[in-house]
Amino acid sequence: MISYSRDSRDSHESIPASAVKIIGLGGAGANMLERIALDSMEGAELLALNTDVRTLVSCLAKDKIQLGVNLTKGLGTGGDPELGHQAMLEAENAVRAALVGQRIVFLCAGLGGGTGSGAAPIVARIAREEGAFVVVFATMPFFFEGRRRREQAETSLNQLTVLSNALVTFDNNRMGELVLAKQGIHEAFGAADRMISESIKAVIRLVIRPGLINVGLDDLMSALRTTRSRCLFGSGIADGKDRASKALRNALSSPLLDQGALLKEAQTVLVHLCGGESLTLFEIELLMGSLQKHVPETAHVLFGAAIDPAMGENLSITLISALPEDSLSVGSRASTSQIPEPTANSETKEPALLVIEPAFQEIEQNAEAPTAIETMTPKQPLEEASSATDGSENHPDPLAETIVRSGPNPEIGVETAALFQQSERGEPSRSEPETPKKEDRPFAEFTTTESTVGIMPEPDPHEKVSHDPFIFGNQPKHRAPDKPLWGKSGPPSKAGSEDSDPSVKDITPPSPPARKAPATQLKLDPKFPNPQSELPFDSAPKGRFEGENPNVFDGEDLDLPPFLRKKKS
Amino acid sequence: MARRTKIHVGLEIGTSKTCIVVGEVKPDSAVKILGIGVTKSAGIRKGGISDFVQARACLKDALAKAEDASDVEIGSVYLSVTGSHMQGVNNRGTFRLPDNQPNILPEHLTEVCNIARDVHYPQDHVCLHTIIRKYLVDGLEQSASPVGLFAKIVEADFHVVHGIGNRIQNSIKLVRECPMEVDDIVFAPIATAQMALDREQRQRGALLIDIGGGTTDYVLYLDGAIAASGCIPVGGDHVTNDIHLVTGLPFSKAEKLKISEGNASSDPSLSVGYAKLTDESGFADVEVKRAILNEVIRQRLEETLKLVHERLPKGAVENIGAGVFLTGGTSLMNGFSELAFDVFGRDIYRPENSSNPDSDHPSYRDPRYATAIGLIRYAQILETENTKPPGCLGKLFRLFWPFGR
Repeated sequence: MISYSRDSRDSHESIPASAVKIIGLGGAGANMLERIALDSMEGAELLALNTDVRTLVSCLAKDKIQLGVNLTKGLGTGGDPELGHQAMLEAENAVRAALVGQRIVFLCAGLGGGTGSGAAPIVARIAREEGAFVVVFATMPFFFEGRRRREQAETSLNQLTVLSNALVTFDNNRMGELVLAKQGIHEAFGAADRMISESIKAVIRLVIRPGLINVGLDDLMSALRTTRSRCLFGSGIADGKDRASKALRNALSSPLLDQGALLKEAQTVLVHLCGGESLTLFEIELLMGSLQKHVPETAHVLFGAAIDPAMGENLSITLISALPEDSLSVGSRASTSQIPEPTANSETKEPALLVIEPAFQEIEQNAEAPTAIETMTPKQPLEEASSATDGSENHPDPLAETIVRSGPNPEIGVETAALFQQSERGEPSRSEPETPKKEDRPFAEFTTTESTVGIMPEPDPHEKVSHDPFIFGNQPKHRAPDKPLWGKSGPPSKAGSEDSDPSVKDITPPSPPARKAPATQLKLDPKFPNPQSELPFDSAPKGRFEGENPNVFDGEDLDLPPFLRKKKS
Repeated sequence: MARRTKIHVGLEIGTSKTCIVVGEVKPDSAVKILGIGVTKSAGIRKGGISDFVQARACLKDALAKAEDASDVEIGSVYLSVTGSHMQGVNNRGTFRLPDNQPNILPEHLTEVCNIARDVHYPQDHVCLHTIIRKYLVDGLEQSASPVGLFAKIVEADFHVVHGIGNRIQNSIKLVRECPMEVDDIVFAPIATAQMALDREQRQRGALLIDIGGGTTDYVLYLDGAIAASGCIPVGGDHVTNDIHLVTGLPFSKAEKLKISEGNASSDPSLSVGYAKLTDESGFADVEVKRAILNEVIRQRLEETLKLVHERLPKGAVENIGAGVFLTGGTSLMNGFSELAFDVFGRDIYRPENSSNPDSDHPSYRDPRYATAIGLIRYAQILETENTKPPGCLGKLFRLFWPFGR
């Protein structure tokens, strides 16, 4: 068996930290940046842009660029977006230089003022021109700030809608929900900044750290697909016995989720779990089970999980989704169907794809260069494309996946397989738009061989198989990033959903599915005892309270006699 | 006169018993208990309905008994609810008067109350009570309504009790199927406090703990206003269950042993030798070491009281002036006062009908009926609060009415 190092792969397939930049634009942006800096975010560079030199000097960011050196002479723009616009143009070259080679750019700005509203669209444009994926976090002014600022903000927002890849707006008017009414305004702003910082952090964690079941930029994109959207974001962390449910509860209590009520309308939900080594499949099942109650059945659940030893006993869950602003009042969201052509989006996003794709392909190649077979992938002849091969290719995928993983770490492999089944259930609709696209770039060719080979524990072919999904990656917005960022699990979920497609199934050569089942079974067996670790909890007899919901207070089961509990401890 | 005498019925569906009390509120607001109907409950666990059919049968039985005893046909009841899902929280609403408006108008007060009532609770919860604690005018306490005062900022402190809507609905459904109407729903300890604590005790600060069969409900009054309330899903059943689990005795024997022999105080002199039960035929039935029996009981009850203690606001126990009032069936446990004193360090009372000395019904003094009787008090208070100011005719009528309001 060829040894297989996860670490080396990690480094290849994730986006390097140096390629992520967080830009704080204007006064509000500086505040957000400060919060981010205080949270000591790893894996991203901070860049502050401002016209007001005093604010800029006190900013904690590593890089600072003063806008409008000659125009405003170190003063602010006085709320005039035109001035902000001009000041930005003046510093365009410096900003461009700072953004060269960035893969992802987060732009934080408070709209409504001069620098924020005036310069944000230009910064977004520059970043896009430099080939970065641009996520804009914008705060909208309070109602009491008056109509004029509101209008300035709206204008700027409209431009950003077109220019950015993803736009998340935080409405200051909703800030009141973040804090108690009697708390100071400082805390209110602080809470809003923290929320933005958390969102960015979660996004970075998603994108940078490869997961067991990876979710990447593509998944994020589809979760945030709607433009002019309100971002639904919740993140929770918990430890202890029922950390899964606790973490979920924490995540749902985010005001942006409205106690989970808003998730009811979400079409696409990205769920990312991160836990220490002790993360069990059982917990994930539990968590996803209870999450199902909060999202509509038809929702597209993009699931990701990662193991981070630094998490220790903690389990964190991040929920990201988006609702278009109008649907917050109206309920229907027909426009945000899975096919990425909602009227407003199509123009916005198509260019985005064009820009991103080269970047990702580059990463792909970087990532796969080490493996000989990997590099073959792009060379695969197109002629082999056929629905038959498609089918056959898909089947081995999950299996192969398991085995690949099982080499170095069987447990993880199993988890992946099982989890993927879960996620597969969640996203049946996805297969439809992708199936046709697959045919233009099919490497399906090897899968025919793979279907037999794939079951053997040789890492190489599987490596190949697991990357097959790039085939689906023709819808670059979704799939392309899968590869660069450790696309292991993204693909199987695709493939899995195709499993269910009857037409594909028919053509499939009989052998792979048949063999796949036992293999998976075998892998799963050793893992199953894990949920049993919960057993001792229930094992003590409870007399007449037997079989009732556990009555736990402060970690003690009140249904057990204190006499016995205390004796034990 | 007869027109102004009202009959109220209190219903408590407890874990150990279902209890209906029929009371007559006289025009001078004295309460006379007409009859009590009690049945052992079945199908109730920790204050919640676990077997609807059984619970309904019990309720019907209690209803028949109460109607029999009081000779009143019961059409509607005040219902007390409890359960671990019930929570009491304090909230303060703040309202800044508009600049051109120097004194407080009624609508400002309404506004501030609405703000204060707007507590964030889980979606499936419903709000049961919103009780005004006090108003603050520019930071100064104002116990009466501050309408008309000059102020910049008016604040209102509210105590809001909320619980899971569906469970409360189920209790109502149970009553409706009997069939009776529900006049109002009251969180059990608040009802109990109406009967167990008088105004002065509330003013000085009093903690009421109602330890029933399945739940322990508590309510804390400080400065005449409710400061905390809640429910812990532990009660006398747990004590029995503990004895069963530790000694292996069947439930019925454990229950008997608990009542006749158990002692919750940590006095070692009471924990010597064996506690014995003999059955009817004279056989020495059960023998348990007193040391174990008492220790099991004590640890359970001590833990329960400590849980209550923990959930009270910080420093609140020190402010209790009047003392800790224990009611509910489990508070009859021997040695319980001593134990409660160990935990709280305050005077301990078991209410002996402090507010209504004129009743001569023996069971009226029984802490086990405190909640149901408290419901009648609650109904009476609600009645006086809700009586609309009399119209023209009413005023004229009152002029000649010899019996006060």
